[in-house]
Amino acid sequence: MNSKTGKVMVIGGGIAGLTAAWELSRQNINVELVEKSCFLGGHSIGFTCKATDTCKQCGACSVEEMLANVVNEPLINVHLRTEVCGLEKKDGFSVSLAKSAVEEVAPQGVLKGFSHHNSPLYVVADGAADAPEGAVSIDTLGSEGAVDVDAVVVATGYTPFDPNLKGTYGYDKWDNVITGLDLENIIRENGSLVRPSDGEKPKRIAFIQCVGSRDERLGNLWCSEVCCPYAMRMAGVAKNADPEAEISMFYIDIQNSGKEFPVFYEKIKEEIRFVRTIPVDIYPLEGDSLELRHMAEDEGAPSSEQFDLVVLSVGIMPGMDTAKISEILNIPVNQDGFLDAVPGDSGVFVAGTAGGPGSIAATIAGAGNVALATMNYLGGSK
Amino acid sequence: MIAEKSSKTIDVQINKDVLVVGAGKAGLTAAAQIAAQGYKAVVIGNKTACACGAGCSKEMQDAGLVEIQDGTSLVDIAGVAGDFRVTLGKGEETCEVTFGAVVVAPQYTGVPLNSAYGLALNDKVISQTQLEALLADDAGKEKLVNGSGSTVAFLSGFGQEGDPTATGRVLASALEIQKLENCRSYIYAGNVKVGAKGMERLFTQGRNEGVVCFKPKTMPTIEQDKENVKIVITDPVVRADVELEPDYVVVEEGVVVGPDNLGIAQTLGIDADVDGFLPSNNVHRFPVKSNREGIYVAQNDVDAANVALQVKALIGDGVRTLTEDIAVVDDTKCVICLTCYRCCPHGAIFWQDGAAVISPAACQGCGICASECPMDAIQLGEFTDADLKSGVKEAVASAADATPSIVAFCCKNSALEAGEAAAQFGHEMPAGFRMVKVPCAGKVDVDFIMNALVEGADGVMVAACHEGNCKAERGNIYAGWRVEEIRQRLENMGLNKDRVVFTTIASNMAREFACKVNEFAEKL
Ligand SMILES: Cc1cc2nc3c(=O)[nH]c(=O)nc-3n(C[C@H](O)[C@H](O)[C@H](O)COP(=O)(O)OP(=O)(O)OC[C@H]3O[C@@H](n4cnc5c(N)ncnc54)[C@H](O)[C@@H]3O)c2cc1C
Ligand code: SF4
Ligand code: SF4
Ligand code: SF4
Ligand code: SF4
Repeated sequence: MNSKTGKVMVIGGGIAGLTAAWELSRQNINVELVEKSCFLGGHSIGFTCKATDTCKQCGACSVEEMLANVVNEPLINVHLRTEVCGLEKKDGFSVSLAKSAVEEVAPQGVLKGFSHHNSPLYVVADGAADAPEGAVSIDTLGSEGAVDVDAVVVATGYTPFDPNLKGTYGYDKWDNVITGLDLENIIRENGSLVRPSDGEKPKRIAFIQCVGSRDERLGNLWCSEVCCPYAMRMAGVAKNADPEAEISMFYIDIQNSGKEFPVFYEKIKEEIRFVRTIPVDIYPLEGDSLELRHMAEDEGAPSSEQFDLVVLSVGIMPGMDTAKISEILNIPVNQDGFLDAVPGDSGVFVAGTAGGPGSIAATIAGAGNVALATMNYLGGSK
Repeated sequence: MIAEKSSKTIDVQINKDVLVVGAGKAGLTAAAQIAAQGYKAVVIGNKTACACGAGCSKEMQDAGLVEIQDGTSLVDIAGVAGDFRVTLGKGEETCEVTFGAVVVAPQYTGVPLNSAYGLALNDKVISQTQLEALLADDAGKEKLVNGSGSTVAFLSGFGQEGDPTATGRVLASALEIQKLENCRSYIYAGNVKVGAKGMERLFTQGRNEGVVCFKPKTMPTIEQDKENVKIVITDPVVRADVELEPDYVVVEEGVVVGPDNLGIAQTLGIDADVDGFLPSNNVHRFPVKSNREGIYVAQNDVDAANVALQVKALIGDGVRTLTEDIAVVDDTKCVICLTCYRCCPHGAIFWQDGAAVISPAACQGCGICASECPMDAIQLGEFTDADLKSGVKEAVASAADATPSIVAFCCKNSALEAGEAAAQFGHEMPAGFRMVKVPCAGKVDVDFIMNALVEGADGVMVAACHEGNCKAERGNIYAGWRVEEIRQRLENMGLNKDRVVFTTIASNMAREFACKVNEFAEKL
């Protein structure tokens, strides 16, 4: 293959950025991969496997695989704990990098990567007492100065909905009210589902859908696309681990999970109870249980039920650096607050959930699409 | 652990043309994207409209980069990635053409699902496509308004689950109808599929503009007397039946696999998913790969771009570097029983001069064939039987001081990753636990397991990918069968069959893997 010159900066090291970087490097293009936190992988590197008797195609393990690809690829130069603070358009782009603020990426103590492909695996902030072997001080991480590149791919991802904005669910007050993201990490780290208050296996579990999404009052007029699939897959995992578990899902409409959805949905409908209503509030009961109040769908009257664990299916909100990125790179923001598409001839491209909700599979496909557009741009601009 | 050996490589010249099967929008877009990378794309199939915006410009066609052969069909295919010899047919005539890669762009058709609702189609009971045709011009709209205005009822999501594309069409039409004089839209939906960009806004807009949406739990009760239809549902909030006798009923359309689709898949030797859609549902193939190297699937524009990336990575400048000894048949041992040909998930095996041959251009090195061959005629360059045996021996010897000693044959795609992660994260594991790396659990045959027991291992674990997640599609299933066979044998010999277990794990589940290993050690 002819060695094409050209260098691309990819901002954000989640599955979108990893995929874009990898696809570009496969075409012999040099990549500067800039990640704000101390670890590559983004949100989905911490996700759990949702296989029961068979793989449920959640995509989590493909993130692991892509991370391994990227860290072993010499054409990709990784800058951890680094942010973009300025951009100057010349022949190509001159991008200024700065170390990201420690208090933002490393509140305190020891930070651990989710994957063994993360390097370093542990990062210690100031004053951490017992650092694990191989831990690296955060002061050694981060790049500064200007880097010249020919094109920029923005893959800065999303922010999960802050459940405290739905105060009546008591996320900050009751231990056993958790988010879908907490649940992903709990199973991944423990190897099985346990509830936070006492480490016991929950018997009665509720999932509340659309937390933060499809919410006119919050002005969030979009469906997050991923929370129905992840909640159903998780419910399947819980049921598989404990066939006695009673699982209820409170929902508005169920969205599709991808290929073979009808088969999956039929099966999960036999395993869990679907209730078409969105609960109003949650109260604690004796013994760490929770009372969840809602409008009973068949009677149209208030009703309440008891659960051991309530999972809030938080949705995908615009990334927290959207405004900053939009300003530095001159990318318009759409009415929902996500980054808009940029004309292909500007040399700036948006990949992944920075541009709106999407699953891992959709993100991988979209990032491939962006990689090709970037290559075409490089080919044309040379 | 077994050291990987350096392998022999050769450079081969490959064909740079690409065949695109399917001349719908996805196929033409893929052709345009491939041509933009400088490769010639030949599109066959029945061309739909060309005003599709696929971007295969006149210049590309003039330059011979995109060639559209209308009405040509795929008859047969031989060869492997880089050198597919394809038989094309037009009418009675056939010809053979060589291609480096093949892209399938399946064409799906929509069928009205009226029978799911017990309805017969007529002037007043119409399909979504028929409604769109009416809304396309003034005459049609006039017909809908029918002088004094109409009520239009949409039935969607009870005949099949549906998807955002279908919901988008319903909402767009419903909004159009609201604009017509004295016309009203009612939607009866199962799940409103808003899981795509802009859909929730469209749905909200519909509500704001007076589209009424009912979401009954089960299919509404529907009575039809020719052109008169009555739809009844029970409203849970007002606790009463809600009846409607609409002027028009619009039934949803189901997406069905085109009649040629499975035939094409069969000819090409690629797997479909349970619904008959291509390719199979395996995350390792997302978004566009199939189980055969050099054959891709494109359903939409994004796929088309990904196909072009894959084609570019495969074909490059027309020279491909291949590893010669991924899997090699010893032709003095082969008796052409064709076992390997039948079990290879990647279509990599052929026969020539009285023996099976494995193409290094297609082989993925899973080793299923090597384990299944009754003559032990196949060896993998990186994982020879001798290597694996000495690896097992070393593993058992190094664990001799610990009780129990466990040999785990770990698939390099899943269990090995999980095991290495568990070690790095310091998850507690039994002192006598040793991993032996295999390219796929499908490589682990009965002899290896027996060998581990003979060497003195207290327990043997075969750890594979979850079903549906195997890169070799069925390697894990073969491994499961073989473990079952050994357990039977042990039992028949009066031994404890639980010394050998089969398990599945994903690469990212270090803690779960450690738990499984500890549980096994405990039982031993
Ligand atoms: C609870 C939950 C469960 C989910 N489960 C599934 C599932 O099972 N299957 C599935 O397919 N999808 C699932 N998803 C969706 C999945 O998380 C996304 O599809 C995926 O993470 C998107 O990847 P991304 O790279 O676009 O964004 P992210 O994962 O958000 O990655 C963005 C990266 O960019 C970095 N970054 C941000 N700002 C900057 C900056 N200014 N400079 C440099 N770097 C920056 C971040 O640190 C991060 O590493 C789930 C989502 C949620 C909320
Ligand atoms: S369920 Fe998800 S993590 Fe588990 S094997 Fe399947 S795709 Fe991988
Ligand atoms: S995917 Fe499901 S839970 Fe998430 S916003 Fe959409 S409808 Fe609500
Ligand atoms: S399985 Fe073995 S003996 Fe049979 S055809 Fe293949 S290589 Fe030859
Ligand atoms: S090793 Fe696997 S892919 Fe290669 S020929 Fe054998 S069965 Fe086919």
